[in-house]
Amino acid sequence: MEARTVDRSVAVPLRSLRSRWRHSRLARLAAAHPQRAGALALLALVVVLVALEGPHEVAQRSLNGLSLGAVYALGAVGLTLVYGILKLVNFAHGDFLTFGAYMAFLMSVTWGLPLVPAVLFAMVTTAALGVFFEKAMWGPMRARKAGLLQLLLMSIGLAFLIRNAIQYGFGTEIRTLDVNKTDVVRFLGLRLGVTELIVIVVGVVVLVAVGLLLRLTMLGKRMRALADDPDLAETAGIDTERIVLYTWLFAGGLAGLAGVLAGALTTVEPELGFGLLLAIFAAVILGGIGDAFGALAGGLVLGVVIEWSTLFVADQWKLAIGFAVLILVLIVRPQGIFGKARTL
Amino acid sequence: MTELFRFAVTLEAFTDLGFWTGVGVLAGTYTLFTLGLQINVGYSGILNFGQVGFMALGAYAMGILVVEAGWSFWLALPASILVAVLFGLVVGLPALRLRADYLAIATLAAAEIVRLTARNARDLTGGNQGLFGFDGTWADISETIEGWLESAGWDNPESLFPLFLVVWIVALLATAALAALQRTPWGRVLRAVREDEDAARALGKSTLAYKLQSLSIAAALGAIAGWFLALNLSFLTPQAFEPLITFLGYGVLVLGGLANYWGIAIGSIIFWTVQEATRFIELPISAEKEAAVRFMIVGLLLILLMAFRPQGMFGKREEMALGD
Amino acid sequence: MTEAAAAANGAILKVDGLVKSFGGIQAVDGATLDVKRGSITALIGPNGAGKTTLFNVVTGFYRPERGSVVLEGSEVAGAPPQALARRGMVRTFQITKALAAMPVIDNVMLAAPNQPGERLLGVILRPRASHRREREVREEAVELLDLFGLARLADAYAGTLSGGQRKLLELARALMTQPRVLLLDEPMAGINRTLGATLLEHIERLREERGMTFLYIEHDMEVVMGHSDRVIVMAQGRVIADGLPDKVRRDQRVIDAYLGSESAG
Repeated sequence: MEARTVDRSVAVPLRSLRSRWRHSRLARLAAAHPQRAGALALLALVVVLVALEGPHEVAQRSLNGLSLGAVYALGAVGLTLVYGILKLVNFAHGDFLTFGAYMAFLMSVTWGLPLVPAVLFAMVTTAALGVFFEKAMWGPMRARKAGLLQLLLMSIGLAFLIRNAIQYGFGTEIRTLDVNKTDVVRFLGLRLGVTELIVIVVGVVVLVAVGLLLRLTMLGKRMRALADDPDLAETAGIDTERIVLYTWLFAGGLAGLAGVLAGALTTVEPELGFGLLLAIFAAVILGGIGDAFGALAGGLVLGVVIEWSTLFVADQWKLAIGFAVLILVLIVRPQGIFGKARTL
Repeated sequence: MTELFRFAVTLEAFTDLGFWTGVGVLAGTYTLFTLGLQINVGYSGILNFGQVGFMALGAYAMGILVVEAGWSFWLALPASILVAVLFGLVVGLPALRLRADYLAIATLAAAEIVRLTARNARDLTGGNQGLFGFDGTWADISETIEGWLESAGWDNPESLFPLFLVVWIVALLATAALAALQRTPWGRVLRAVREDEDAARALGKSTLAYKLQSLSIAAALGAIAGWFLALNLSFLTPQAFEPLITFLGYGVLVLGGLANYWGIAIGSIIFWTVQEATRFIELPISAEKEAAVRFMIVGLLLILLMAFRPQGMFGKREEMALGD
Repeated sequence: MTEAAAAANGAILKVDGLVKSFGGIQAVDGATLDVKRGSITALIGPNGAGKTTLFNVVTGFYRPERGSVVLEGSEVAGAPPQALARRGMVRTFQITKALAAMPVIDNVMLAAPNQPGERLLGVILRPRASHRREREVREEAVELLDLFGLARLADAYAGTLSGGQRKLLELARALMTQPRVLLLDEPMAGINRTLGATLLEHIERLREERGMTFLYIEHDMEVVMGHSDRVIVMAQGRVIADGLPDKVRRDQRVIDAYLGSESAG
């Protein structure tokens, strides 16, 4: 029997920096009350920014950031419900947004109908799209106990399909929705585009409605319970079929709306949704996977924080900053601000 | 009679050597690219969705060092691998501890940061205008090889043929090296890390170190694929490095099958042959629509493969149960 | 008692005031125990006493909030599992972790220490040394499998083994690491009496021949009373009794703990 050679690389890192941080009181408090810690961190950030750039600048950017934040939030709520309840990392979600934008474009610009019914049309058709693919693909795959990677790659395939079908039908030219891009609203010394204001108002109203629905109705409670703990569903006798249906209706409808709003803020083109997808994932992770309220807050916060970065860097770096924040969150607290600490 | 045939297939295209050499270069480049995905996904359980970021780093590092810093081509090549590997370590060190789906998103985000940096750091990379002028040395090498071909009897060698030769020599060598590596004790630990990380740790293996090594190898392969992409295009833009590329790589990966290195080359050849051969079916639709249809087919392929044959051509069915 | 004195006294493993909680529930609530070198020690207690959690903390799979774990005189609390395995403390799992998609022989060969072929640089720079060690490791692995009666299954995928065979494989694999302390989590669970007896024979022989120390969690009282030098009893995250099997069996606190858990359950 060979004599064991001492493995010199095994330095017991007992008091390593990481372990010292983790055991510190501050970290433990933060871990115990993540929402409060998150809110405090945000507040601290605001204070620092105001000190550096002045309240007017910060307020202005915050307002601007809210419009895109509303889009992120609407996209994220649907994505997180699908992720949490159906365990599907849906890379096709972005293209649902694109689909919604084009449906609204179709009805309002091509067919000449007013914008409001066009938006509703977009929401309904996108919701229907979601349900269609649930029946055609996701349901059968779940029945076959498909794995994470299988479903993920399928969603990527679906994303290709939807995006390019749209491109086939509508071409690659950049379209715009018929919205007011020039008028500006002023209040409290701040200015905001009319469209941006409408996006924020619509977004917030819908989000509040969704929030109330999830919190107060039986359906909402069951959905949240399922997203939190899918094994619970079996024992609590929740009708999963119905819940799944409603999940897709929600996800599709909200995605459709998010797409229209995004198209209103920018332009309507085949890459619209996919370009937003990663930011929407970031909002989902920030808020904790499966947590609709977290996704809501995460989306708004992300939109605002990304806009704050323009105080220091050029506009074009915004998105890169957003992704850097995402990676940071994944490193520090992958379960998000609202998620429960799970042993990874 | 013509009404019956709504489309025509130009048969002469099938003998267009220039075209097929181009397809071959593409297939070879993607083989190298996807070998990196295979060692990560198929053998280490790492859902690397940022492979295109390594490709971008390899291509841009090589280009920038040659054009902006005036380095020799032969020094820029290994240096670009180093850049990609270092980036892989920086991202991997925190990210590899994450659950499979989080890791996928983190790597995707990291690759996007690389692309956006390439787009925005105009002074360094030329931004959307592009970077070019780095392939002087390669032009010389290419000419030399053409000379050999001529002296071997080929009168007017295809200009892309030298690149085709080199890319495939490298790709096949890489495949052989990886397959050999897999048969070593190191390969055994890697498989154990994928099977059950806790079991491997309980037996004294530093699993994070192995995952980092796997990611570094993928980074190096991605960087090398980046060189060939750069030499093929002769110029670099950030648009060449969108997440789409990684997704196409995954298409090749699942077509070939998980946990099989030689299958990648075959999967890549089939994938790109079919993709590019569809250019010769003249449908009465615009080029834009044709491109859309081509990608719809890729999407459909992914969906059908995952639904009905997740193990691809040469993989094993059990390998697909990842992240469960 | 100082660590040096404890080591000299024959305690190869010493746990002191270990605390580990999960979301407010104290799974391990100040556990203190020591394991004498070359002993076969049983760890028993009613369900939920914290035995497996203790194992997980001691072997590095969880980080303790408080307390210390001293292995061979060195403080190791918070060190990762692979570090502890390399220091000679190896554990098996309650639900066996056979590497199903790998052959049985690979499972065992994996566990051998000091394989230059396991390092990337070793593969490239020391091919001959790697091959030599690989041959040695294969021979040792075959011997070990033979000892456990698994030699004919060497090339079968571990996933095709029965539950009992997997237990033996897990033990063989753990032994391949040449450990000094082996922590076994319910080694007898799910295997028949004859196999269990064989396992116990192996354990006792290894203790005699190699001076290995064993700490095992077990529910089967016959096994515990008949085959341990010492019994440690845990309840509600703490050690409530510790001593010779007969003494512990008659300890009122132990009886209460078991009865208490029965009436509560």
